[in-house]
Amino acid sequence: MDLKMPQPLLSVLDSSAPACASPATILLVEDEPVTRTSMAARLTRLGYRVLEAGNGRVALEVAGRERPDLIIVDWMMPEMDGPTFCETLRRDPTMKSSHVLLMTSQDQPAQIAEGLVRGADDFLSKSASKQEIMARVLAGLRTGRLVRELEVTSAQLESSMLQLEAKQAEMDADLQSAASFVRSLLPRQGNPAQGVTLAWEYQPSLTLGGDLFDVMAIDANHLGLYILDASGHGLAAALRSASLMTFLRVENILQMLGSYDPEQVLFEANRRFPLSADGEYFTLWVGQLHVPTGRLTYAAAGHSGALLSPVQGPSRWLTQASLPLGFDPSAQFASSRVVLQSADRLFMLSDGIYDVPSPTGEFWGRGRFQAVIDAGRARSLCATIEACFSQARGWQQAPHFPDDAAVMGLELAG
Amino acid sequence: MTITQRDLRDAIVLDLKGDLTYSSRAVFKAAVAQFTNASCPHLIVNLEEVQFMDSSGLGLLALLSQSFKLHHTRVSLLKPQSYVREIMSLANIPTMIPIYETEGDALAASAA
Repeated sequence: MDLKMPQPLLSVLDSSAPACASPATILLVEDEPVTRTSMAARLTRLGYRVLEAGNGRVALEVAGRERPDLIIVDWMMPEMDGPTFCETLRRDPTMKSSHVLLMTSQDQPAQIAEGLVRGADDFLSKSASKQEIMARVLAGLRTGRLVRELEVTSAQLESSMLQLEAKQAEMDADLQSAASFVRSLLPRQGNPAQGVTLAWEYQPSLTLGGDLFDVMAIDANHLGLYILDASGHGLAAALRSASLMTFLRVENILQMLGSYDPEQVLFEANRRFPLSADGEYFTLWVGQLHVPTGRLTYAAAGHSGALLSPVQGPSRWLTQASLPLGFDPSAQFASSRVVLQSADRLFMLSDGIYDVPSPTGEFWGRGRFQAVIDAGRARSLCATIEACFSQARGWQQAPHFPDDAAVMGLELAG
Repeated sequence: MTITQRDLRDAIVLDLKGDLTYSSRAVFKAAVAQFTNASCPHLIVNLEEVQFMDSSGLGLLALLSQSFKLHHTRVSLLKPQSYVREIMSLANIPTMIPIYETEGDALAASAA
């Protein structure tokens, strides 16, 4: 039998015809020895490595061991026929993507449909011309090669994804650890001094936030207070904030300036924390409270977040227009004074608590925040702060804020 | 945010549209870099269609002011909306960069 393939057809159909690379392996499954030998000889002459099996069961063993590039299987065979072989192959995860040509002497549409449903990729009529046989073999090999390439790519992608997930988990753990550390820097709620109650709530927009605050004992009668807001979010902002927080520690300021005078603190901070090359900076509100008299001295560098809520009358903002830190190296920061009465409350907050948009884009705003504070006079300090957060969340109809949100409240004993 | 550049005789206007925030830093910086390459003496930043500005947006304006001061280049802000104006006022931006209501006012102040 002359099974030579016409060269032009060969070159068109198979760009990787078995030439110099290792030859493709074809598993031929046919119970009729003459047909099998004839077909095997034909394929061998074309340069393929041919494996032979006389029934489906033996073919499964050979396929599992040799992983052929193409399987040609007869429909009618003893022990295990072609369609059953296909079904069994598709159930095996290691062989399910094998490319299978089902040989049949019939080519009725119903039979073809059954073969495809049961797992065949293509059909080969036993009455097909030798050109058609070779064309289908080449097409099958090409498709099989593409499927294997896809499998390799898919495996590589999956491996890369797993590596990325592992890296992400590592980074998340690091961030959680850093977030816990930053949270540990925040003041303990309760009584920072006799007759003063402290409560706060803080929700960074990401794992790590750039808003920090503290209440510290300067001496037996004075508390130092501050709230700072780093522009930007995330790790970089948190690191910069931690750096400023270290600078603002009472021991450091007293050693450097001799007192916790707010305008001196801001002047020095402005000198030491210039605007970064990316335009990042801090806003800062600093106060000093003389606990026995309630006298509060405060100054701000671009920070607008201090609200006095007196026991009588409406609340009022303790703020004035001022430059944030680093905007002008020669900036001066003037202190102001106010006297807190018994049961008065002082809130320090970041703008992230009220710069909260509704689904239609309207901001919750300072006015609504202030209204919650005023209405909170009947509630505890803690409950008032909780109400601020719950109403802001309700306004935006989302649990997480777009910016870091912090509210710290102090209340003098009544 | 989208930024459109308009060339006037003695100034370049950047028409900003959208929010000037952390996420629009790259677009804003690229537009300013393009202005810098043009060697024009006056940049007018039109904020008429900016609805929101966050702390990073303020930082960009401060950086602009500092940088232009070093290079003796004038920068002006134009027609901020009330919310943006309030945010800028709290950060004292008007003491660093003058704010005008019309392009004509900005140009006249520059010529004076």
